Amino acid sequence: MEDKRILVVDDDEMIRDVYSQAFATAGYTVQTAGSAEEALEIMRKTPFWVLFLDLNLPGINGLELCRQTRKDWSMAIAFAVTGYASLFELHDCREAGFEDYFIKPVEFSDLFDAADHAFRKLARWKRR
Amino acid sequence: MQILIAEDDNTSRKILAAILKKWGYDTIETCDGIGAWEELKKPQAPNIVLLDWNMPGMDGLEVCRKVRQLDSSEPRYIILLTARGDSEDIIQGLEGGADDYIAKPFNSEELRARINVGCRIVGLQIELARKEKLQGVLEMARTVCHEINQPLHVLSGLSDLLLLQVDKDDPRYTMMTKIKSQVFRIGELTKKIMRMTSYQVKDYMDGRSKIIDIEKSSTVDEHSFCVLLNFKGG
Repeated sequence: MEDKRILVVDDDEMIRDVYSQAFATAGYTVQTAGSAEEALEIMRKTPFWVLFLDLNLPGINGLELCRQTRKDWSMAIAFAVTGYASLFELHDCREAGFEDYFIKPVEFSDLFDAADHAFRKLARWKRR
Repeated sequence: MQILIAEDDNTSRKILAAILKKWGYDTIETCDGIGAWEELKKPQAPNIVLLDWNMPGMDGLEVCRKVRQLDSSEPRYIILLTARGDSEDIIQGLEGGADDYIAKPFNSEELRARINVGCRIVGLQIELARKEKLQGVLEMARTVCHEINQPLHVLSGLSDLLLLQVDKDDPRYTMMTKIKSQVFRIGELTKKIMRMTSYQVKDYMDGRSKIIDIEKSSTVDEHSFCVLLNFKGG
């Protein structure tokens, strides 16, 4: 079975740690990055096709990271996970290319479902 | 609406008070600068002030200057009343902090019109202060909520990890489930607070103080959501 690899970008170390542990129990391999710049470097070496991005990142923000990711790796499926809830932010996320949008705190089972759905989609796309 | 009058001539003061009352204003009357200054130091002093310039002791211009030096957020619209009418004096009056100037003997309808201007300006200042306060409150609330949501997210994940490690019939399982539900309870609260665009207050502790009624203040505005979808090229 193909290794299910996800990239998590969040500047909070504890959040990165909990993602690593939680997603590992659900059978995923997790790579984390503390900034958009770090994430882009990782993507250039080995692209990830499922990403969870915090929006409020130091330097380049999550929206811009999503735009760049979708431009250079158009098959990538990105999810926004943010601490701030606002109507305008939801619209901006959809415009930037996010598949979905979650407001912290999120049920990790919802994130697993999102990742699972994304991998099924990718598998279906590969089979065409 | 209250107006403060400072006029040392008894007859003039009584006539002025009578005219203002006829126009529907409540008046606080003082007969010299010191009296006026004492009143104007109070936060609940009238927002509209009619000061005679020539008064013994502290004159109107002096009162005006002192009021402008007060560190008060209360708007004070000051009209100087005076027999002095030439440009030099007008300039001195306005530079000293007066908002307007009317020469004696004055036409009462003109005074009324100038007082109306004062009411309009005070109204604008009060509204602006209210909007700024609201913005400040909402920005603070949103910032705090955003920060709180970060550790809540960690707690959510850790709760799930612990729940995996504990048997369902272990009493700790129930406790962990409760901890997790409280984490999400806080999450629902932060979501509500972040939705607020204005706020309503309610009494706290038998009315000893006021707190924000989060329920009433955070009802989701369905209309705004639809307008947003249409506006942004939907």
